Amino acid sequence: MSRTFDILSKVGDEPAFRQEIRDWLAATVPADWRRRWQAVRESELKAIVVDWLEERRKVGLATPHWPREWGGPGIPFAYQIIVYEEFARADAPELDMFTISLFHTPATLFEHGTQAQKDRYLGGITQGADIWCQGFSEPGAGSDLASLRTSARAESGHYVVNGQKIWSSAAMHADYCLLLARTDPNGPRKHDGISYFIMDMKTPGIEVRPIRQITGEAEFAEIFLDDVKIPAENLIGAEGDGWNIAQSTLSTERGLLIFGAVERLARSFELDGKEAKDGWMRDVQLRREYAAFHAELQSLRLMIRKLLIELEANPDKASPTLPTYIKLIWGPFLQRYTEFLLRAEGIDALKWQPSIPGTGHSSRLRMNDFLKSYGWTIAGGSNEIMRNIVSERILGLPRG
Amino acid sequence: MSDELDPGVLAESFAEMLGAEWPREKAVAWSQAPALFAEPLWEQMAALGWTALTVPEAYGGLGLGMEAAAALHAALGAAAAPVPMLGTTLAAALLGAAGSEAQRTKLLPGLADGSSRAAVAQPGDMPIRLDGGSVGATIPDMIGAPAATLLFLRGERAGRPCWLALPADASGVSIAATALTDATRTLGTVTLDGVTVDEDALILAEDPAALDDHLLRVAAIAIAADAIGGGEAALAGTIDYMKVREQFGRVIGSFQALKHRVADHQAALVAARGLVEHAAGLPDDAPHALLDALSAKQHVTRTVAEIARDCIQLHGGVGFTAEFFPHIYLKRGKLNEVLFGTRTILLDRIADMLEAA
Repeated sequence: MSRTFDILSKVGDEPAFRQEIRDWLAATVPADWRRRWQAVRESELKAIVVDWLEERRKVGLATPHWPREWGGPGIPFAYQIIVYEEFARADAPELDMFTISLFHTPATLFEHGTQAQKDRYLGGITQGADIWCQGFSEPGAGSDLASLRTSARAESGHYVVNGQKIWSSAAMHADYCLLLARTDPNGPRKHDGISYFIMDMKTPGIEVRPIRQITGEAEFAEIFLDDVKIPAENLIGAEGDGWNIAQSTLSTERGLLIFGAVERLARSFELDGKEAKDGWMRDVQLRREYAAFHAELQSLRLMIRKLLIELEANPDKASPTLPTYIKLIWGPFLQRYTEFLLRAEGIDALKWQPSIPGTGHSSRLRMNDFLKSYGWTIAGGSNEIMRNIVSERILGLPRG
Repeated sequence: MSDELDPGVLAESFAEMLGAEWPREKAVAWSQAPALFAEPLWEQMAALGWTALTVPEAYGGLGLGMEAAAALHAALGAAAAPVPMLGTTLAAALLGAAGSEAQRTKLLPGLADGSSRAAVAQPGDMPIRLDGGSVGATIPDMIGAPAATLLFLRGERAGRPCWLALPADASGVSIAATALTDATRTLGTVTLDGVTVDEDALILAEDPAALDDHLLRVAAIAIAADAIGGGEAALAGTIDYMKVREQFGRVIGSFQALKHRVADHQAALVAARGLVEHAAGLPDDAPHALLDALSAKQHVTRTVAEIARDCIQLHGGVGFTAEFFPHIYLKRGKLNEVLFGTRTILLDRIADMLEAA
């Protein structure tokens, strides 16, 4: 590397900031990173992801969306958007493994944590490489999360936790877990009596079993909890307030993650058409199908930009409906587009290849991307739940 | 484009007037006994300056751009108003882009004050040979022709494309109306038989292909806007019905099988509206102005036609009757899908542009 980069000093001059990120990305992201990450063994994956996090940290972009009081760079939202846009444009690796560490943990602790909790845990993210996971869903509590049954029994100075969590992304790599457990089984409503904890994943009684996905990867895991002792000072907020806390921090990513994902797909969409110039783009039917997706992709990008503009103008009061519509449109769109590519590319798209970590939903391994698209329609409130929300809360249709 | 007029404020005033003057009962009654166009409504629109919206100020217009035009066409689509506004928007764009000073002075004020009603040929129409002498030609399926006082036809002179502006009542011009399933617009076959074409009736563009693209963009935005307005109105009316119609002792809007369909339609319309507003807001010379307009047109008209179709089904038996409104939007929606380029034609053009990008 022949020069040093000072991206953050360019805040205040958008074009210069953008150019500095571009130059830094061009100098830092190896052209063959996809091949290298694809070749890495699961046991070595964390190391390669942490290396990339460290590269980002050198230029102050490990936590680009963090305000100064969290220990982040405190750059305006418009510049955070540029960061995500340029990362997508350059096809830089994603940090999926750190999603909870980078978004949910700081948002939760800053809003609801004690000073001691902030002091103790945030440094492990800003200066270290602590991986956090989320212990929310259970085998019997998916879309109906509030019916969770993992129990936390108060004893002197600590809670004793028993139960089972599932779909915890990166749990097998995690240092800590944001855990929801029931402290009072007799609450008037099922939402009551749930409490929110910080759980050290090295505590005895925790067993983590990776879940092999339909793509062949294991990105998430089951967590079995057998008399796990959590110190009382690890309770976040008040006992029984866990549901409200979880609700308030669920959307902490403020559209940036889906923005990045859709911008990555837009880049991929352009390449797909160009690379098929002498292939399926010569088939009039497939060419038309491809052209039709342009409008849908555009409409998503426009909705997300609108959301970001609203958030920039007023971080606390964005449209409550737009994220729901975006989720309802994005997952099925991704499913149909990736399925189209399977049909367009024929047998080549069905040949097995190891998945490529860090590529999110645009690995461009066709079958993998298609299968992975179901993550968007199932996770974070299945699209069926989203349809209930739209029809009941937005359109005012009565509950069945 | 004017900075003083917010398209949102305009849209509200359009909706308010149309809600009062062209309520759903009138739209239903019209569908059962249509005429060429709703003359009193057209006159009110003209009196309020709506027909002058995109006509340049120097010629009696308001000089607004496509954002305002899209707001107007969306409101007309929502009301399923039987007025030949598309012709006015297109003729103003044609004259504004390529008309001579004399042609603008002569034709634009009449369009602005609503005394002229225009019909403008579509992209695929066969050009009329104008190589001397009197002219004979047949132009089938011209949208708005039976209601028009002014015809804008495609011509060709010495191998070069041009436009021809003719009064609908000029000697040798006849228009035979063809009944349309969409009773809110008209269609006609224009026949020219021994028509003398004066030089000043010819509109000669410096770059005919660029003019075609400009008109196609304007048409695509106006039609997509009409479609989104219609789709939103059809769905909102259907949801209202689902809140009152009871079966098995409950309103049908409580059934999840119906609710989920409606939720998907609503999300699709929100996404579709974004496309229309974005396409309308781009300057004409923006790099993707045409691409985004055509993409919006093909997608929005298709989406809305599909939603209008489901509005019939969601209504059940009454949706099958002429007395209920859904069929009006379905028929208007199906016409919007094919006007100024069917979906396949537009998709081929979009694919060309994506490849060239």
